[in-house]
Amino acid sequence: MQLPIQLNEQSAEPLYYQIEVQLRALIVSGQLTEGTLLPSIREFAGMLKCSVITVRRVYSDLENEGLLRTRQGTGTYVAFVGEKERDRHRLAAVIEAIDQAVVAGKRGQCTVQELEELFSESIKKHYD
Amino acid sequence: MQEIDSAIRLENVIQRRLNFELGPLNLDIPKGFITAIVGPNGCGKSSMFRLLLELEKPDGGKLSILEHTVGAGSDTELKQKIGYLPEHPYTGDDGMRASAKAEFYKFWYSNWDGNRYRELLRMLEVDDSGRLGKMSKGTRRKFDIALALAHAPELLLLDEPSSGLDPLAWKKMIELLHQYMDSGNRTIVMTSHIVEEVKRLADFIVFMADGRIIGMYEKDELFSSWQTLFLSGEGLNAEVAAAMPGQCGVEYAGGTTFRVITNDAAAAEAWREREGLRLVSRQMLTLDEILEALVLKDRKSYRFNDVKGARS
Repeated sequence: MQLPIQLNEQSAEPLYYQIEVQLRALIVSGQLTEGTLLPSIREFAGMLKCSVITVRRVYSDLENEGLLRTRQGTGTYVAFVGEKERDRHRLAAVIEAIDQAVVAGKRGQCTVQELEELFSESIKKHYD
Repeated sequence: MQEIDSAIRLENVIQRRLNFELGPLNLDIPKGFITAIVGPNGCGKSSMFRLLLELEKPDGGKLSILEHTVGAGSDTELKQKIGYLPEHPYTGDDGMRASAKAEFYKFWYSNWDGNRYRELLRMLEVDDSGRLGKMSKGTRRKFDIALALAHAPELLLLDEPSSGLDPLAWKKMIELLHQYMDSGNRTIVMTSHIVEEVKRLADFIVFMADGRIIGMYEKDELFSSWQTLFLSGEGLNAEVAAAMPGQCGVEYAGGTTFRVITNDAAAAEAWREREGLRLVSRQMLTLDEILEALVLKDRKSYRFNDVKGARS
C-alpha cells in the first residue's frame, strides 16, 4: 500500500517528526480507517527512503498515543479512534500548522496586520 | 533502546599487501539491519568481505560472524547461514549449465529450498537451462542473486549487487531484499556505489577510504546532520562563518552571504540564532558529497598525525 506521505528534505524538522505528523493526520482525518493494515516497517522505510529505526520510532510513538496497534507476528494496524479523540487530534494538527505559518511570517518580517490580511485572503481562496 | 546483537565484529584486523595496507579495522555491524559500506574504488571493501569469508587470511586481529570466530574450527555450519554475492561472477564455471550450478549449491547447502529457488528465478525472469558463460551480464547477475538467496541465509553479504542490472531488474532486486529482511531476524551487509540504492536499502552506512574505516552512522541521522547553510548578516565574514559548529567548508556566495557546510546541523542552527545571522536557505548533502567531505577530513587528520608522530 502506498501512503500519501511527502518528506521535505529541506526542512529543519527531523524525518521521524515529519512522518509522524502526516501519518497522524491520515488517521485522525479518517482517511485511514480502523483496522487498516499498515506497511511493514521495512517496506515503509524503503518507500520513504529512510531507515527502519526512524519508522520504528514513528510506529511506537503513534502506538503510545493510541492511534496504532501492533499485533505480534501480523503487523501494525490503525486503532479505533473515538470521536472526542479525533476532534482533539484534528485541531492539534491545525493549531500547529497555523503556528508555523505565523513563525514563517515573523521571520519574513510581516506586521500583525499583514498577517491577518494574508490569513483572510487564504480563507477566502479555499472556502468561497 | 534494546541491546542489539552484532552480526559481524572486527577487532584490529590488519592485512598487509605489497602496495596496500588494510586496517586496522574495528567494526561492529548489528543484526537485523541493512548496513551499506561505501567508499572510493580500492578502499578495501571487497578485501574485507574476502577476509570475513576466510577466502584470505588476515595478518592480525580478530573477525567474528554470527558469534563464530573466523578461522577457529569447522565453519561448515556457519557457511550454511551466509549468502554471498561476489563482485564478479566466477568465470571457472562458464561452461556449466545454470541448472547444474544450482544442483551443486543444493549439494552443499542442507537448507537449500528448491521452491524458493524456482520462485526467485520466476520473479527475476531468469531461465536456468542455458550455459552460464552465454548469459548476458545482467542475467548472470540475477542468477547469482537467486543462488545467494535460495537457502534463506541469516546473513547476506552483497558486493555491489546491482552491477549490470537494468532499472526494472534493479527495482525487483530492491523488492526481493526488502522481502528477505521482513521474514525474520535477517542481516544484509552490502557495498554499493549507487546513491539511490543506499537510500532505499540501508539503515546504517559505513564509510571506508584508503583501507581504513572512517565512520559508521545511522542513515537518517547522517543525512539530517550534514547540511549546507547559506547565511547572511551584517559583519559576517569567512572567519565568523568558520566558527560554526561542525564546519566543514566555507565559501563566499556573493553579497553578505556565505555558504557553510556543517556536520552538526542542530548545533549550527543554535549557533546561527545566537549570532543573529539570517538563514537564506538550507540544503541536504548527497551521499557522495558527504563521502567526499569525510575522505578529505580523514586524509587531513591522518597526515597531520603522521607529521606529528614523526616529529615527537
